[in-house]
Amino acid sequence: MTGLERHLIEAAKQGDSRAFDELFLQQQKYLFNLMYQLCGDIAGADDLTQEAIILAYKKIRDFRYESSFRTWLSRIAINLFRLECRRKPKHYSLCLEKIAVPSHQDNPERVVIKSELQWCILHNLQQHLPNKYREVLVLRDLHHLSYKEISEILEWNVSKTKTRLHRARQMFRQQFINNKCKAFADDYLCICEGILEL
Amino acid sequence: MHLRGDFRIMNCKEARALFSEFYDRELNQEICDAVKEHLAECQECKEEYKNFRKGLKILKKLRVLEAPRNYMEKTQRH
Repeated sequence: MTGLERHLIEAAKQGDSRAFDELFLQQQKYLFNLMYQLCGDIAGADDLTQEAIILAYKKIRDFRYESSFRTWLSRIAINLFRLECRRKPKHYSLCLEKIAVPSHQDNPERVVIKSELQWCILHNLQQHLPNKYREVLVLRDLHHLSYKEISEILEWNVSKTKTRLHRARQMFRQQFINNKCKAFADDYLCICEGILEL
Repeated sequence: MHLRGDFRIMNCKEARALFSEFYDRELNQEICDAVKEHLAECQECKEEYKNFRKGLKILKKLRVLEAPRNYMEKTQRH
């Protein structure tokens, strides 16, 4: 934790709303993406991010520096995500049309291929990975958190984190192949990145 | 796993169980060397590890989105 972050936390704990703003502005993009990758839709991620930040705002006085601020915030958000999954089992629907990719300076074929790949990744994460595997995979491979941070967020020991991460990675790859997404990935790598084989 | 000279010799099952930590560079030097040694000698595991990495490379293509709004505005009113 940097000196500045500690200073902002202390000020936020004393009720300084500008310090709170600054502290959370650094995290909101991370938090929104984390929620999007876990729940799979923008509206749901938007609601969960807002809820998590409101809850963190209310609980900031309880923050005791036992973990990093981001770890603490992630734990709040993931607990909300789990609660939401229990409260409202999801009816899965992910339309290709809703997957927006930047289309400037790109030809239509590439835009479609990029959208298809995004759809495949999200589809496999949401549809074929149970939450416990999705959480660890997203935290490690999309946010590059350490095993220790992940263990603190998910409240597992490090050994369990390692085991589940390994299983999650295997499952993701296996499902990707089983669900015929491999062809989309090969198209993407070949046409968009010019790679014939990894 | 057994010893051969200065090396620990791994079988395929042991090596594959360590792919994740090997990829993350979380293994100690001795175990890491043993996995490398196994991959150098076993074509099937080498191929399996290549596919393991390929899966992760694809996953990491998921786009990072911008937050759709400033969440602080609503938060301060609660």
